[in-house]
Amino acid sequence: MAAARGCLCSCARPMLPRLCVGLVAGPGSLLRAAAYSTALGVGSAGPSQREVAASRRSRTSQIARNRRVPGAPRTEKMAVDQDWSNVYPTAAAFNPSSVPLPIRMGYPVKRGVPPPKGGNLELIKIPNFLHLTPPAIKKHCAALKDFCTEWPTVLDSDEKCEQHFPIEIETVDYVSAGPSVRNPKARVVTLRVKLSKLNLDDHAKKKLIKLVGERYCKDTDMLTITTDRCPLRRQNYDYGIYLLTVLYHESWKTEMWENEKTEADMEEYIWENSPSQKNALDTLLRIRAAEKITEVTREELLGSEMVENYKTSVVVLKNGETENNILQYKESVMKLLNLRA
Amino acid sequence: MAGRWVQPSSWWRAMLLSGRCSSRLPSTGKGASSRHCSGTASLQKTEADPGVTEEEIVVPRKKTWDKLAVLQTLASTVNRDPTAAHYMFQDDPYLIPRNYFESRLFSLSRESGKNAAKYIVNEFPRFFEKDIAEPHIPCLMPENLTPQIEEVSEAALKERIQLRRVKASVDMFDQLLQAGTPLSLETSNRLLDLLCFYGDREPNGEDQSKQKEELEESEEEVPDQRRRKGRSRKTSDFIGPKWRENNNAERIFNLMPERNAHSYCTIIRGMVKHGACVRAHDMYTDLLNDRHTADVYTFNALILAVPEVKENYIERWELVEDLLNHMVQQKVQPNLLTFNAVLKTVRKCGGMGKGISLKILREMKALNIEPSLATFEHLLGIFYKSGSMEMIYEVMDEIEGKTFVARDPDDDNFFVSAMRICFSLKDVDLAYRLHKVLETGDNWKLIGDAQRQSLYCARFFSLLCMMEQLDVILKWYKELVPSLFYPNAQVMWDLLQALDTANHLEMVPQIWKEIKQLGLSNRPELLEEVLALMAREIHPQETQMSFANCAADIKSIFETRERNQVPLGWTASALGNIAILFSRVGRIQEAWNMLELFKKNNRVPSDKVMNEILTCTKQSNTPDQAVELVQLAAAFGLPTTAKLARRVIEEFELSEEQKNVLEDADSQSSDSDSD
Repeated sequence: MAAARGCLCSCARPMLPRLCVGLVAGPGSLLRAAAYSTALGVGSAGPSQREVAASRRSRTSQIARNRRVPGAPRTEKMAVDQDWSNVYPTAAAFNPSSVPLPIRMGYPVKRGVPPPKGGNLELIKIPNFLHLTPPAIKKHCAALKDFCTEWPTVLDSDEKCEQHFPIEIETVDYVSAGPSVRNPKARVVTLRVKLSKLNLDDHAKKKLIKLVGERYCKDTDMLTITTDRCPLRRQNYDYGIYLLTVLYHESWKTEMWENEKTEADMEEYIWENSPSQKNALDTLLRIRAAEKITEVTREELLGSEMVENYKTSVVVLKNGETENNILQYKESVMKLLNLRA
Repeated sequence: MAGRWVQPSSWWRAMLLSGRCSSRLPSTGKGASSRHCSGTASLQKTEADPGVTEEEIVVPRKKTWDKLAVLQTLASTVNRDPTAAHYMFQDDPYLIPRNYFESRLFSLSRESGKNAAKYIVNEFPRFFEKDIAEPHIPCLMPENLTPQIEEVSEAALKERIQLRRVKASVDMFDQLLQAGTPLSLETSNRLLDLLCFYGDREPNGEDQSKQKEELEESEEEVPDQRRRKGRSRKTSDFIGPKWRENNNAERIFNLMPERNAHSYCTIIRGMVKHGACVRAHDMYTDLLNDRHTADVYTFNALILAVPEVKENYIERWELVEDLLNHMVQQKVQPNLLTFNAVLKTVRKCGGMGKGISLKILREMKALNIEPSLATFEHLLGIFYKSGSMEMIYEVMDEIEGKTFVARDPDDDNFFVSAMRICFSLKDVDLAYRLHKVLETGDNWKLIGDAQRQSLYCARFFSLLCMMEQLDVILKWYKELVPSLFYPNAQVMWDLLQALDTANHLEMVPQIWKEIKQLGLSNRPELLEEVLALMAREIHPQETQMSFANCAADIKSIFETRERNQVPLGWTASALGNIAILFSRVGRIQEAWNMLELFKKNNRVPSDKVMNEILTCTKQSNTPDQAVELVQLAAAFGLPTTAKLARRVIEEFELSEEQKNVLEDADSQSSDSDSD
């Protein structure tokens, strides 16, 4: 409680001085100190009090003389070319008497500078990397080389890696200061693979994409499976691989009910058997009939160039509108309906 | 602090996958890898460019290592920080220990804190049941130290032996005997082991008051031991528990219906450990009469006990030879400790030691036993005492570049003894070689406890101060202090002498700062030495200024009265030197204060002091003070009063009155009370 009050005092703004004083006078020990200081300050209250005050003063001054004085910080003794990794071998809190840098941190008081490093809580709170300077890392890497095996010489570029090992597994390890090394977030496993590397035909690919739904990204052609439903990382990895296998095999199979695929299920626009084809053909036939030209068969019409043109422009348009596509559509419609003027 | 070790770049993808492909996941790995590899192989045929040929990818097998290997490797990249105290102390300018006494106090208090915590955890286990550490840390959980089995049975006895409760197990044994239950030989032997190991006392010295009574009793028993030669006595003779006549171990030994060799051996070893050496040898004779064979540890103990049994050198050696012959007869193979015990005993055999020890060494080599540091230490002890110096060089040649492990309890004496010999031989190169041996590998672990380490470093540094150049000395000073030892007054004295020899007296104030920080500033000899060195010659002006500040500091030390401490007494030389230093920089008022102090403390200043002060007075050109000075000199009855007076008359502008006064003072050498 007293500590909380102290904190409040320290961060209270200067416009609350009365409140501060009121709070200071509250706790018992501080009250005693206040009484003590007033006893010394008054001084004119008579010889007995003066004696008492004097003896108290001599005792405190003796205590003050015997009080241990802090030595010089050891930064003064440090050589300029010392080996820093010996001073901070492991992750440790910032210690102002061991770090020979003139660092300042914190919010500056009005018209002042940030507080210096001595007793600066801000510097102690933040994580520091004084134990991982580049020379230290070099030393660590040189020492750990013995634990590593050689990289296969064949895999010397990104593409080759992708080519030989198309599946990427991503796992995260968590480190924290505490009595337990376990972290439930560490069981998450992410599997990524490009669909172009899998042996899928058109139907299989479409079915797979429908099966995985959101996990497929069209722009990068990447399927991402994230598993965390098992308690252990190994189990999640196995489950992820199992999912991939199952998806692959299932997408190759064709079920009976798949032929009931309606137009709403289609991923892309197909011109055959679409209303656009019917309409175009009907219109052309009617034009032909109106102009009393000899009967032309539907197939001939379909095979003719302007219809092909129309077909491609409609398909392209339906699949994504751009300025060019619209102009192309206009051209093909004009050719179809013979609107050249 | 959580660190994400995500490897987004493709560089790591294959590494991870190769990790998967290899032996780490045996259940799924093989299947997965073959499937992946075959999958990709087939892919290559369909989609690869026609130009690229199929290549063999050799995925190397992952290396395995034990749990601590990575940490140990990383630890090997880190060395000692020379400016830091031992890592167990809090690294704060206020809390770092400044001298040897403080470091011992802090480390002991830290240990005592740990023990107190352990005691609380074991006394109140109901508050420490929650275990959040993962993986489990067994040493932080409360231990069950009370015996659980209550009824009188052999299992209960075994439990008490296991918990190392000496008194409780003896009581249980007596109860079992009264109840008539037969005890197996093995349990009886284990009980004997416990009693002999702890000398029939509780392991932690819990019955401290009982111990004191027994010490008084046993003092009457062993007056003859004390009359032995002083050199062979160790403090452990007095501090350790002594073996009482007919204590529980012997009583139980006599009560045992059957005894085997192990029982005899345990009793003998216990007796030797606790000082009853003659009885141990008697027990050995009993063992031989019972036609048992002793084991190698018993023989080691018996050999160690020989100097207590026999006084004469030749008899000692004959007894040792006897025991060794018995070993051969009983076909007991000697080990390193045997040879070290022989050497230790031979050390107390006077002049015969040299030849015998070389023979012992040859035997060790023949048996292919590597000598340990204790062996070398005994050798050094034997040869050095009789004055031959070459042994240490040969030993040094032998141990250079080797790493040692602790194989004998006496290993930790080696470095200290060797450095002592280097010091007395005044051989710096040898000391450097020894220090290098200390720094190879893990040899530093064999330096012993803090006191030994401090002794070693103090001797090393003193030797360097005597023999080396100043910059080398200062470099070693920075290297050794405070991480390895805290200098004592003798070391600082040597350092000051080294400064003097190198003619670098301007560094004296720096050394004074170090002395103050080490808490050695209440040693009068150090203070005197510092002042004397500063005041001896005249130096350039800034040096003089720093000297004067230093002198003021020392003066304040003389004057402060610490609580419960007697203040340091002023000596004439101290006062004089301080006065000289003040006067050399022109701090005339303070110099006068010193003269006052002379009078107050009944000391007489020397001529040099008066001359210096006079020179200073001349600079400030106050004739009154000069006259006063001469009067003071007359008051002290100094023989140079006349010369001083003449000097004053020559050098100063004086009024008639003053001249008269001076002539008065000049003529008479006794007290003058004129104005």
